[in-house]
Amino acid sequence: MLDQIAQAIVGILAVAGSFFCLVAALGVVRLPDALTRMHASSKAGTLGCGLVLLAVALFFPGLDVVARVVAAILFLLLTTPVAAHMIGRAAYASGESPAAGTVRDDLAKGPDNPRRRLLEKAGRR
Amino acid sequence: MNLLVLNLLLALAWMGFNADFSLGGFAAGFVLGHGVLWLGRPLYPNQRYFRLLWGSLGYFLWLLKEIVLSSLKVTASVLGFGAKVQPAVIAIPLDARTDLEITLLACSITLTPGTLTLDVSPDRKHLYIHAMFGGDAAALCAETKDSMERRILEVLR
Amino acid sequence: MSPAITPFLSWCLTIAMVLLFAAFALTIVRVLRGPTTADRIIAIDLFGVLAVAFIALYTLYVQQVVFLDAAIALALVAFFGTVAYARFLERRVVDRPEEREAAQKEKEEPHA
Repeated sequence: MLDQIAQAIVGILAVAGSFFCLVAALGVVRLPDALTRMHASSKAGTLGCGLVLLAVALFFPGLDVVARVVAAILFLLLTTPVAAHMIGRAAYASGESPAAGTVRDDLAKGPDNPRRRLLEKAGRR
Repeated sequence: MNLLVLNLLLALAWMGFNADFSLGGFAAGFVLGHGVLWLGRPLYPNQRYFRLLWGSLGYFLWLLKEIVLSSLKVTASVLGFGAKVQPAVIAIPLDARTDLEITLLACSITLTPGTLTLDVSPDRKHLYIHAMFGGDAAALCAETKDSMERRILEVLR
Repeated sequence: MSPAITPFLSWCLTIAMVLLFAAFALTIVRVLRGPTTADRIIAIDLFGVLAVAFIALYTLYVQQVVFLDAAIALALVAFFGTVAYARFLERRVVDRPEEREAAQKEKEEPHA
């Protein structure tokens, strides 16, 4: 009986995780520009992946699995922000984003604009 | 940080006494050793270990809650029945000074959906974030500073 | 190793697999359609995360814990790949600004 309840929780976690993964993919397709797409991909994706990993930890008995899952989730939480930051700055610097509909852009005019800084560093213009 | 080493040594000793070198044995030893050290607090004046450990644990739990809550918000908006998407790039003045504080704040901002760290200004006075619901920039800025940065500084200082 | 799985769990796993495959398909759509390099990098990054989730799900499906190590390793490699792509994108801005400028102009003012 207890086993069945545990397995039901595992199943629900797996479905919820996959659902968030699907939402991330849907967001990458539906949202308007690269920077907003990144919101969906980096966060909903991480949450979905974390939930599926949690389901694995609950399903298999033994602490070694739990330890590995915790390591994997911590690793995801550490790497996702770094990757998102790198892509975000690169996307902005490449001049392709943000798209129309952006209500406010503090970086556009200021001296901190990553595109301008990159070009100045390269000694062009 | 010497207390952390001491705590780990106590955990190791516990594992040795029980001949139980598993993750469970380590966890039990660490918790027990932590309790022992906590009882002996008056012996170590000026220590930051307990506040740091408990503070980071609390912050981590708060961050997890925040990630789940705001993931739901982004999900609703992706599926088309949430708040309207209004992307904005907002400059946030920084109170955090050291590398660790700024890195932690930037990562936390990226992890909570709806906001994304784009860049740190070269003089480290501002953090540029991209917000998905940036209709009210002032409110968003105040909220980030008030909840997230305050918590980080409380733990680390 | 682990108890026999209940019908409910096996249904849940099938549904989760279907959802994940739909997510893979949508991500591939974004990789193919672009329109910018940044979009493609984001989609490829998401593809890596989805692959980690898929391997974790597969671990449940075949009830073999060994595959979990593959998921951890993949998470590592995908992260480095993404960082490399981002560096590439930034370098390209410096190396060939004129070309980017031209592409930008063309996008803003389609051929009259």
